[in-house]
Amino acid sequence: MDKPDKLAQVEQDVLSAMKKPGLGYLAALGCSATLFLTLLGLWGYQMATGMGVAGITHPVGWGVYITNFVFWVGIAHSGTLISAVLYLFRARFRTSFNRPAEAMTVFALLAAGLFPLIHLGRSWKFYYLFPYPTQRMLWVNFRSPLIWDVFAVSTYLTVSVVFFYVGLIPDFAIARRYKEGLAKRIYGFFSLGWTGTRRQWKNYNQLYLFLAAFATPLVASVHSVVSWDFAMSIIPGWHTTIFAPYFVAGAIFSGTAMVITLVVPMRKILALDRYITDDHFESIAKILLFTSLIVTYSYVVEFGLAWYSGNPYEMETFRYRALGDYTVMFWIMIFCNSLIPLTLFARRLRRNVKYLFVLSLFVNVGMWVERFVIIVTSLARDYDPYVWGTYTPSIVEVGITLGSFGLFFTAYLLFLKTLPVLSITEIKEHL
Amino acid sequence: MKRRDFLRVLGILSGSTLLSSCGSRKTKDFVSSVLPPEEGVIPGEAYYSPSTCTECPAGCGLSVKRREGWPIKLEGAPEHPINDGGLCIRGQSSLTRLYHPKRVNAPLRRNGDGKFNAVSWEKALSLVSESLAGSRDAGRKNLFLSGRTTGSLSLLIDAFCGKLGVERLPEFEVYSHSAVAEANGLLFGERDVPHYRIENADFLLTVGADILATHVSPVSYTRKLSRARSGGDFRWFHAEPHLSLTGANADRRFVVLPGREAVLLAYLLRQVLEKGPRRHGLPREVVNALPRYSVENASDQTGIPAEKLADLADRMTKARFPLVIAGGVSTSHRRGLEVAALAGMIQWVTGEIPGLVDFARNEQYGGTGTYHDMEALSARLSKGEAGVLFLSRTNPVFSLPGGFAFRENVRKAKLSVAFGDLLDETVQEADLILPLSHSLESWGDVEPRRGVVSLVRPVLGSLHDTLSEGDILLRLMGAVSGEGPATGYREYLFAEWTKRFGEKGKDALIRDGFVEESLPEKRVTLNGGKAAAFLKGAAAEGGEPKAPVLVLAPSLRTFDGRSRGLPLLSEVPDPLTTISYGRWLSVSPGTAKALGVKDTEEATVSSGDWSQVLPMKIQPGLAEGVFVAGRDFVDSPPLRTEERTGEATWYLEGIRIEKSGKVAAIPVLSGSPSQQGRGLIPDPSHKDEKHHHGTESLYPEHEHKEYRWAMAIDLALCNGCSACVAACYIENNVPVVGKKDHLKGREMSWLRIEPFYGEAGNVDFLPMLCQQCHSAPCETVCPVYAAYHNPEGLNVQVYNRCVGTRYCSNNCPYKVRRFNWFWHLWKKPLDRMLNPDLEVRAAGVMEKCTFCVQRIRAAKDKAKDDSRKVRDGEVTTACAQSCPTGAITFGNLLDTKSKVYRLAHLARAYRVFEGLGTNPSVYYLGGAKGGPEREGHG
Repeated sequence: MDKPDKLAQVEQDVLSAMKKPGLGYLAALGCSATLFLTLLGLWGYQMATGMGVAGITHPVGWGVYITNFVFWVGIAHSGTLISAVLYLFRARFRTSFNRPAEAMTVFALLAAGLFPLIHLGRSWKFYYLFPYPTQRMLWVNFRSPLIWDVFAVSTYLTVSVVFFYVGLIPDFAIARRYKEGLAKRIYGFFSLGWTGTRRQWKNYNQLYLFLAAFATPLVASVHSVVSWDFAMSIIPGWHTTIFAPYFVAGAIFSGTAMVITLVVPMRKILALDRYITDDHFESIAKILLFTSLIVTYSYVVEFGLAWYSGNPYEMETFRYRALGDYTVMFWIMIFCNSLIPLTLFARRLRRNVKYLFVLSLFVNVGMWVERFVIIVTSLARDYDPYVWGTYTPSIVEVGITLGSFGLFFTAYLLFLKTLPVLSITEIKEHL
Repeated sequence: MKRRDFLRVLGILSGSTLLSSCGSRKTKDFVSSVLPPEEGVIPGEAYYSPSTCTECPAGCGLSVKRREGWPIKLEGAPEHPINDGGLCIRGQSSLTRLYHPKRVNAPLRRNGDGKFNAVSWEKALSLVSESLAGSRDAGRKNLFLSGRTTGSLSLLIDAFCGKLGVERLPEFEVYSHSAVAEANGLLFGERDVPHYRIENADFLLTVGADILATHVSPVSYTRKLSRARSGGDFRWFHAEPHLSLTGANADRRFVVLPGREAVLLAYLLRQVLEKGPRRHGLPREVVNALPRYSVENASDQTGIPAEKLADLADRMTKARFPLVIAGGVSTSHRRGLEVAALAGMIQWVTGEIPGLVDFARNEQYGGTGTYHDMEALSARLSKGEAGVLFLSRTNPVFSLPGGFAFRENVRKAKLSVAFGDLLDETVQEADLILPLSHSLESWGDVEPRRGVVSLVRPVLGSLHDTLSEGDILLRLMGAVSGEGPATGYREYLFAEWTKRFGEKGKDALIRDGFVEESLPEKRVTLNGGKAAAFLKGAAAEGGEPKAPVLVLAPSLRTFDGRSRGLPLLSEVPDPLTTISYGRWLSVSPGTAKALGVKDTEEATVSSGDWSQVLPMKIQPGLAEGVFVAGRDFVDSPPLRTEERTGEATWYLEGIRIEKSGKVAAIPVLSGSPSQQGRGLIPDPSHKDEKHHHGTESLYPEHEHKEYRWAMAIDLALCNGCSACVAACYIENNVPVVGKKDHLKGREMSWLRIEPFYGEAGNVDFLPMLCQQCHSAPCETVCPVYAAYHNPEGLNVQVYNRCVGTRYCSNNCPYKVRRFNWFWHLWKKPLDRMLNPDLEVRAAGVMEKCTFCVQRIRAAKDKAKDDSRKVRDGEVTTACAQSCPTGAITFGNLLDTKSKVYRLAHLARAYRVFEGLGTNPSVYYLGGAKGGPEREGHG
C-alpha cells in the first residue's frame, strides 16, 4: 500500500467504530445506563430519607462514598499523565492510548465529582461550598481542605475537558468528511472550521504543547490536594506527610490499570491491533510496575513511621489496619497492589495482553480497597477507645457505587460510537 | 411619595389590619399570651414552679421549667430536704411519662371480646359504684391495693375505704425493704427504714445497699455522700456479691460470697465490741449468742482476703462516727434478716442511733407490705372472694415471681379497676382502666420521709381525659353517699394542709414546695431478749445460696421495672455496661472465657423448670460464679419468699448457663472497656508525659474579651449515674433514635458517660462532652464555617449553614459531634417537651454540645438589662444543674474569682489528650477517687 492509501485506511479503521451499533453494544449501554439511573434513584431516596440509609456511622463518618471519590479521581489521573506528560516526553506509545485515556479522565472526573455531592448530608446546599458574593457576607473557609478539593477538582475537570476537546478538533474535521446530513453539520460545528492549513497546524501544535505543559503540574497537584483531605486532619493513619506523593503514585497506578482494562477489549472488539501493539502494552505495563513499587514503598514507610513514632495512637491504628476487623481488606490490598504487579518483571508477562488485562482488574480492585482501608480503618480507631466502632457499607452505598461505574461506562460507550477512538492525525504522523 | 410617607402608610395599614383582626374567637388566646396574667406567661420567658417527682418512691423535689405554659424540663429543687437540687436519670425522664404518646387518655372498659372501649368518666365511676354495692350485697370483699402511698392521699384512701367498706391491703412495693424494717422492729420496736445521716459520718460501710442508684432515696444519699467526702477524713467501704454502681464508686469494694454478709457483720460487730468505738454495751446473752469468727475464719466464709478484712475492721474501730447501712441484694436472701439485724446491732453498739441513724425521720416504709401479703392476696383472689379489686400505681402482674400466678388470679375478681397512666401488664389485665393524671397535672403531696412534706402541684391542665387519684376517690365517695369531704381534691388538700400546718404553713408549702417539720429526737433501746433469741435461732441456720448464683439487681434506669416504658431511659445507656436497649445477663470475665463467649452472645439461664434466654455481657469486676441481671430483665423468675421477713429472695441458686450459639442484637455503645493506656483518666504513669506539639499557629489567636466559658468536672465526685445525660437530652432537644440506630452506633447523645475498667475490675467514669477546644480541629476543616469559634470561647455550630460533610466529626479526637442521619420526629404530644430556645436539627446536619448556649444567652440578656456582667454561678448548664454530686462546675475562665477558674488551676486538673494541642475548655479533676480493690487518697 502506498502512503495515501494507508492514511485512508487509518481513517476507516478508526472511524469504523462509529458504525451502527450492534446488539451487544446496545445491551452494554442499556446495562450501564440502568445502573446510572439506579444511582440517581438511590441518591434521591437518600436525600428524602436521610444519610442514615448509608452504612456510615459514628465514628466512621466517611465510607464508600469518599472511597469512590478518591478512586475515580485516581482513575482520572493517568489520562493527563499519558496525554500531557508523555507528550512532553515525546513517548511515542502514548498515541495508542491518549484518546481513550483522555476520555477516561473526563468521565472518571464526572463520576468522581458526583461523590462529594452524594456524601453531603444536605446535597441540595452544595452551592454553600462555592465562594460567591452574598448579602449575608457568608464566605467559605479557605483553611478547609474540602474547599481546596472544590478548586482542585473543578480546575482539573475544566483543563481535562479543554485538553480532550482540543485534541479532537482535527479528528472532528476528518469525521466530518465521512458523515452526511445533520451529523456532518454537528461534526463540522465542533471542528471549528478546521481545514488543516499550515498556519492552523502551527497554532494548533503550539496550543497543544501549551495545554500539555499546563496540565502536567495538575497530575501532581490534584491528587496531592485530595490526599490532604486526609493528611490535614489529626486522625492517626491520615495525618502524615507522605500522603501527597503516595496518593499521586497510587492515582497513576490505578489510572494506568484502568487504561489497560478499557483498551484491551476495545482493541479486540474494534480490531485495532495494528495501532495498539504489544510493544505499546509493554511500555504501559512498565509504568504500572514502577508505580506499584512506589505504592508498596509507601505502605512500608507508613508502617515504619508508625513504628518509630512511639505514638500509641499511630501504632494502634496500623496494628488495627493490618490485623483488625478489616484485615482481609488489608491483605487483599497488599496482594493486588504489591505482590501481583511484581510478576511484571517478567518480560513475557508484560507482553501478554490477556495477562495484563486480568492483572489490571486486580489492581483496580486493589486500589479501591486501598482507599477503603485508609479511610475506614483510621476512623474506626482513633483517640477515644469508647467510640471505636466499625462500618459496613449498606445496600444503598453498594448501589450508588455500582451506579458510578454505570455513569462511567455509559459515557465511555457513547464516546466509542460518537468520537474517533484513537487520534487519527497522530497515528498518521507516526506512519 | 417620599420613602418616609410610604413607610408611614404601610405602618398604619398593617397596624389597623392587625388590630381589626383582634375580634376573632382567638382573641382570648392571643391576649393571654401577650399580657402576663397572674401566674405569668410571658412569651420567651421561662417560669419555674415547685413540684415533686413521683417516678419512684423517693419523692425528690422538683423545679419545673415552663415555657409558654408547657413544662419543658424538670430540675431538682434547690434546698429541698430530700434532693437539694439534684435529680436522677429517672426523675429527668419523668417528663417523657407526662408526654408519653401511649398514655391512656380516657377511661377504658373491657368489653365482651376482651378489647378495651373508651367510656365516659360518669359511666366508669357509676359502674364502679354499682359494682361496689353489688359485691357488698353478694358478700364479696372489695379490695384496694396500691403502691407505696404517703401523705394526704394515704389518708384519703383510708377515708375512702372506711366509707365504702373497702378493705385496704398493705401496699405492694418490689423493694419493700422488709428485712431492714423487720430487723429494726425486732431490735428497736421500730418497724421501718430509718433515715441515715451519711453527711455526719467519718466512716461508711454499705452492705449490698445500692445507695447511689436505687436504694430508698438515692439522690438524697448521693448528696449526703458528696458532703461527707468533701469533709476530707471520710472513708467509704462497700461489700456486695455482685457489682453495682454504688460498689463501683466506693473507696474500696469487697466482693463477698453470696449470702455471707452476716459473717462479715458478725465479725465486725465483735471487733467493735472489743475495740470500740462503743457507746452501748450488748447484754451478755446477746454477746454469747453472737457467733465468733477469727479473721481467717471470717475470711474463709466471706471470700474477702484476711488482710483486707483486718484492715476494714481496723479502720472501722478507729473511726469516730462509723455508719453501717445494709440493704438491697444483701438483705434479700435467706439470711437477709441476720444481715439487717447485725447491721442494726452495730448501729446500736457504736452509738449511731440516733445521731446517724434517725428513727424520728424514718423513710415511711412501715406501711409497705411484704410478699407474704401478696401471697395471701393471691390466695384470696384465687378463691374468688374479691368483688371490686382496685389496683393503683402498682404492677404486681409483672413484678411478682412466677409462683404467684397473679395474672390468672386478678381475672377472678368480679371487677378489677386499675389506676394507671401507661398500659402496663397489670393495667392490661383490668376490667376497667381509670387513667391517672401525671403528677405535673394534679394536686397532691407526698411525705417520703417523716416530717418532710413535699408539694405536688399541677403546672398544666390535663393533657388527656384523666383525673388524679384523689379526685377519683372523692368522686366515688360523693357518688355513693351524696356528700364528699370536699368538692375536689384540691380543696380537700388545702383543708388538710391548713389543718396540719396552719394557714401560713399551707401558703409556705405552696410557695416553697415543701415543709420540713421539726420533730423531737427519737430514742430507741435495744431489746436484748429478742435480739439474743433471734441470734440463737439464726446461728443454727445455714442456707447460703448455692453457686452459681443469679443475682437479680435493681436497675438504675428502670428501678423495679416501672420506668421501662419511658423512651429516654432506654436511650441513655446503663453506665456500667453501656448497653442501651434490651436485657442482658452480666457474666464475669472468667466465666466468659470458660464458656468461650463474647459480648451479646446469647445464653439460656435455667433453674428447675424455669429458663430464659438472655444475651451475655462480660462485666469486669464481677466475681466467679455470680451472674447478674436486672430485676425487670427476667420474666416470672421462680423466686422464693423469705419466711421471716416476707422479702423475696432475689437470688436464683444453682443455675445452669448454656450458650445458645446465637448472637443477640443489643447495642453495646462502648468500643472498648479499657482506656488502652491512653490516659483519658490519667494514672501516675501519664504524669510526666511529654507533649511534642508546639503551639505555634499561622493564624491569629482567638481573643476573648469578656467571657471564656469553661467547665470543670471532678472525676472524684462523678459516679456515673447518668442524670446529666438525661438532662442534656431534654434541655437540648436531642432526639431519641431507638435501638436500630444504636446498633449502628448512631446514638445522638451530646454528653455521654464513658466507663473505663482497670485490670483489677475497678471502674472510672468519664463524662465526655464537647471540649470547646481553643484550637479546635473541627473548626478548621469545615468548608463553610458552620463550625466556628465564637468570641466567648465556644465552638458553636451554625445548623443552618452546615452542609453535612461530617469532616468535623471525623477530625474530632473526642468524637462528640453527632450527625443527624434521619429526620427525627417527636411523636405527639412529645413535641410539647421541645425547648423553644433551640431549633430541632434537620437531617443531614451536624450537632453538638455548646455548653447550653441558650442558657448563657438568657443570663447575658438578664445581665445586660442590669448593665453588668454575668455573675459567677448565675448561669449553669443543664448537666451541671442536674448532677446529684455537684461534680460539674461551669463558669467564666477569665474571671479569676470564679469557681471554675479555681478548679481549673488545681494541681489535679488536667485535660483529655492534652498532647494533641487542642487546648480544651473542659478541665477534669482526676486522681482522688479510690475504687474497688483500690485505695483512695481522699
